[in-house]
Amino acid sequence: MGKTGSWMVKLRHLLPFYRQHALSFGIGFLLLAATALTTAAIPYVMKLAIDTLTQPVGQQELGYLTLTLIGLALLNAVTRVKARTHIFGIGRRVEYELRKQYHGKLLELDTPFFNKERTGDLVARGNNDILAVRMFIGPGFLQISNTAMAYAVTLPIMIGLDPLLTLLIMAPFPIALIAARYLTRILYRLSRRVADRFGELSSFVQETIAGVAVIRAHAREESWRQRFQTESQTLYQAHLDHTRLQSLFSPLVILSGGAGSWILLYYGGKHVAAGTLTVGDFVAFSGYLAALVWPTVGLGWILTVLQRGLAALERIGRILDTAPFLPPALYQSVAEAPCPRGEGAIHIRHLSFAFEEQGSPKKVLSDITMEIPAGSFIGLVGRVGSGKSVLLNCLARLYPIPKGTITLDGRDLMEIPESQLRQTLIMAPQESFLFSATIQENIQLGARGELSEERAWHVAQQAVFDKEIETFPKQLQTLVGERGITLSGGQRQRAALARALAADPVVLLLDDIFSSVDAHTEARILDNLRDVAKGRTIVMVCHRVAALHNADHIYLLDEGEIKAQGSHQQLLENSSLYQNLHSHMAKEEALEALQAG
Amino acid sequence: MMPAVMADTEETQYGRFLDIGLFSRFLSYTKPYKGWITLALLLLPLTTLAQMAQPLLIKEAVDQNLLSGELDGFGTLALYFAGLVGVQFFTGYLQSLINALLGQRVVRDIRQDLFAKLTTMDAQYFATHASGRLTNRITNDTEAVSNMVSSGLVNLIGDVLLLIGIAISMVLLSPKLSLISLICMPIILYGTILITRKMRIVQRKGRVIQANMAGHLTEQVEGQEVLRLFHCQSRNRAVFDKMNWDYYQTVLKSNFLEAFQFSFIETASVIVVALLFWYGAGLSADDGVTIGVMVAFIDYLRRIFFPIRDLSGKYTTMQAAMTALERIFHLLDTPAAIHSPEQPQESGVTQGKIHFKNLYFDYGKGPVLRGINCHIAAGERVAVVGPTGAGKSSLIKLLNRTYDPKQGTLEIDGISVDRYPLERLRQMVGMVQQETFLFAGTLLENIRLHHTHISREEAIQAARETGAALFIEKLPGGYDALLTERGANLSAGERQLLGITRVFAFKPKILVMDEATSSVDTISEGLIQDALERLLKGRTALIIAHRLSTILHADRILVFAHGTIVEEGDHASLMAKGGLYAKLYDLQFQQQNQESHQTTAA
Repeated sequence: MGKTGSWMVKLRHLLPFYRQHALSFGIGFLLLAATALTTAAIPYVMKLAIDTLTQPVGQQELGYLTLTLIGLALLNAVTRVKARTHIFGIGRRVEYELRKQYHGKLLELDTPFFNKERTGDLVARGNNDILAVRMFIGPGFLQISNTAMAYAVTLPIMIGLDPLLTLLIMAPFPIALIAARYLTRILYRLSRRVADRFGELSSFVQETIAGVAVIRAHAREESWRQRFQTESQTLYQAHLDHTRLQSLFSPLVILSGGAGSWILLYYGGKHVAAGTLTVGDFVAFSGYLAALVWPTVGLGWILTVLQRGLAALERIGRILDTAPFLPPALYQSVAEAPCPRGEGAIHIRHLSFAFEEQGSPKKVLSDITMEIPAGSFIGLVGRVGSGKSVLLNCLARLYPIPKGTITLDGRDLMEIPESQLRQTLIMAPQESFLFSATIQENIQLGARGELSEERAWHVAQQAVFDKEIETFPKQLQTLVGERGITLSGGQRQRAALARALAADPVVLLLDDIFSSVDAHTEARILDNLRDVAKGRTIVMVCHRVAALHNADHIYLLDEGEIKAQGSHQQLLENSSLYQNLHSHMAKEEALEALQAG
Repeated sequence: MMPAVMADTEETQYGRFLDIGLFSRFLSYTKPYKGWITLALLLLPLTTLAQMAQPLLIKEAVDQNLLSGELDGFGTLALYFAGLVGVQFFTGYLQSLINALLGQRVVRDIRQDLFAKLTTMDAQYFATHASGRLTNRITNDTEAVSNMVSSGLVNLIGDVLLLIGIAISMVLLSPKLSLISLICMPIILYGTILITRKMRIVQRKGRVIQANMAGHLTEQVEGQEVLRLFHCQSRNRAVFDKMNWDYYQTVLKSNFLEAFQFSFIETASVIVVALLFWYGAGLSADDGVTIGVMVAFIDYLRRIFFPIRDLSGKYTTMQAAMTALERIFHLLDTPAAIHSPEQPQESGVTQGKIHFKNLYFDYGKGPVLRGINCHIAAGERVAVVGPTGAGKSSLIKLLNRTYDPKQGTLEIDGISVDRYPLERLRQMVGMVQQETFLFAGTLLENIRLHHTHISREEAIQAARETGAALFIEKLPGGYDALLTERGANLSAGERQLLGITRVFAFKPKILVMDEATSSVDTISEGLIQDALERLLKGRTALIIAHRLSTILHADRILVFAHGTIVEEGDHASLMAKGGLYAKLYDLQFQQQNQESHQTTAA
């Protein structure tokens, strides 16, 4: 019982599908049964025809048999096509639903989850594992039912014709089954290895192309050629190992079928000669033999498929079972309802935050308290690792924070429905990620409803990006990313800013998004931001002097704590840490100016 | 994302079924394996015969022994049959083994040629060709060729041979009876090819959607934060659902076609059998139609299933391979713009004198360097300053022939750089790039770049001299520590130190350096300055300087603007001149003055 229990647990994400498609599975099973019956009937009718041929008369009967045979063949084709498409169709449908669920789940999950997982794994699960599950459902079900049915229908007929001969010609089958099962299991492992080696070779080439300047500059081409030879030789070896076994597969089927044919010829032949078996029976037997070889070998293969399917299901299940930290109610309530435009006042009270790192918490923010009045421009400053970005991420509700530590316009941040929060508060994160789409589409992402071209230009101009867009081949409709043009770091940052501005948020959080923008451009953007800032709260991580000069109030963070606060002038007078940071920034900017001319 | 979407366009275009020119060039790759090919070809008739003979033996058995009850010679017959099954097994196994082996070997050879070719290509080529496509040449295109060899070429002949063999046996057994089968066989073959072709089109469409979905998923995971912050989940879900649904519809279609193809051949052969009965009933033993012949015909018709299905798949395999070959040979035929001189000039010990003579250069989009003239003495240290885009980086790229100038010459020790063997030139000129590119592998190999002439000890010595040893020896594994992708586990400062160590280990006579602009922490900055001081001793150096200390330590400063040298001299003389340099320097000096003022105030 325990074993069934664990199976049920493993299959828990599939059970709803089985229930939903129960009727379909039933129909599929009936179709398969019909196919098995017609498949078995064909050699039998051939037997009758041969037996009739051996009689001196029976012309007319042969005519009927011919028609029956054609009829059966057509019926068989119809039921077979129907059965296969029907059952594979269920598998495909479940694949569709499962992929939809998986994709939806990924959209629901949050930053802490993605920090733990690797992109490659999540994508592989969405592709390969879902494929493995589909194989489990479609071909897996078909093959098992098919084999069962082929045996259920064919075996009684054969035994009815001659039990001993049946036993004899079936003798090589268990060997074929076991061999197929064994072979496929090893083959999967070997083909995984081939895929891994292929991946390695491919990354080696990619890396070589990426680092070709270094290789060239040091005249190391010959070493790299030799290394590639080793790589390609390793791949060749992996292929060879795989091929040695793979090549056995088809001959094995031929051999087990051939061995059966030989036994049929030798023993069956003697029976025919002795008159205990007709020539028709002989022909029928060889037909049945052919009908059983592939299902038997297929069974060996499908056991491996089922095993892999279960493993894949478990991996997908682990993701599907993960819950985001926000309660689901916050996602669902008033999905896209317009919310009252707030003021944008933020209060942070005694906020502490820690990351889980190798099981133990690592404190990154401690006892942060801030009053951010509506409409103010707040600067955050501090060294690398001082906690500025984490604080912004907490404000943007990317990380779970204790209730009551942050309020937005008097409401607890952790209780605001997602759709309302994202209409009010927008953050431009440090990494200015753009999607492989047109610039317009990327900016559109921020806008509620359709973004007019005029408005797109407007926000681009605020982000001091419009002049460059004008030089792109298709302007706003230019594709960016790998398929399109490659934007520089500074261009990406300004595109991301335009996207954030398109959202017209009440609260705008800017996480060091000018790191690749030159000082002059940053100053122009800051001027623009001040113009549009009316009625908008801005919290910004600053790394240039100009930004600090612009801020109404500055918080200096170090080691997760607020070390000092006040206006630029106040801090300059009171905090030595601030003076150091400020002079460091000034120096860097001067050097930059020297080079920029 | 790129390969995924390209799958829709360039990368899956299919060419002709057979292109003689491409094909014969491809055949030259199979030459070293002539023996294997001969063996495979010799095995073909054996396999065919073994397959053809089995039904004949059964026919003999039926007519001679089974019907008459006469068992004379039946034992021998049975023995022959067992022998044939054995032959079919072994030749079948050997053949698929040889095919796969051959395919993989040829592909390995083509891959090595392609890679070797890539390593000789110049910077211009890599700048204008997307890396994804180049990688594809070596990985996927060669794989398509491998498919052609291992599942295609020899089997193609084998399948045709088998079908012809079966046809001949049928005719020999009974010309009248075989008439029906011979009329039907081409129809079945043609029908199957038609279905298969349609199937491939649908399957290809499915693969494109699948690739797009994978790309979408990757982007969604990478950009998950943006999707959340901008609340785009529902829009994103709708986009993905459309793809997912399209995929579902497409695969349903291809499922149907697959099932149809599968049933088509089988049903067609049963119908042919039925027709045989109907037709055969009217014929007699005089027409050569015995029961045994009927049995043999049924057996033959069962055997045409596989070769026909196999053949119908060949068409697309060949098309894909021809397209791949065309692209592969195109790359192999592309000449490199920069290569070693055929008759290099003899040269003695390198001194390190550099002479730019009226250099002009551009990347095809307006002039970058416009008439550079300059002498650099052996052992001299020259700093290059000037605004971004003034041509500083391009100048140093000409020195080790990353690019060749459009006009003018560049001499080292009085010999034009294009007269040196490339390898020698690049050993003379060491280059520290702005960003240190790190390869996957150990720290040690990243220092010596798999150069066997640099011993482990020498590499470690270099690291000690530059001070990189300080952080390397702290790492778990030390010099054998594995770097993560692109050295992500090292800080910017550590990466720069490694870059300097690398050049140090190669002991060049001339050093060219593009100083990094990215800021590093103060400790690393001090280390880097020390490392440079040691590295520059006794070497000619040309440095694009970003740090004030580097500029002040130089023997001479070249000030670049708009592709020409506008000022040159040492710091003092340039300051006295009051030109661009002085202006730039004042700006800097002023800032630093202010800073010190502030510090004292505090």
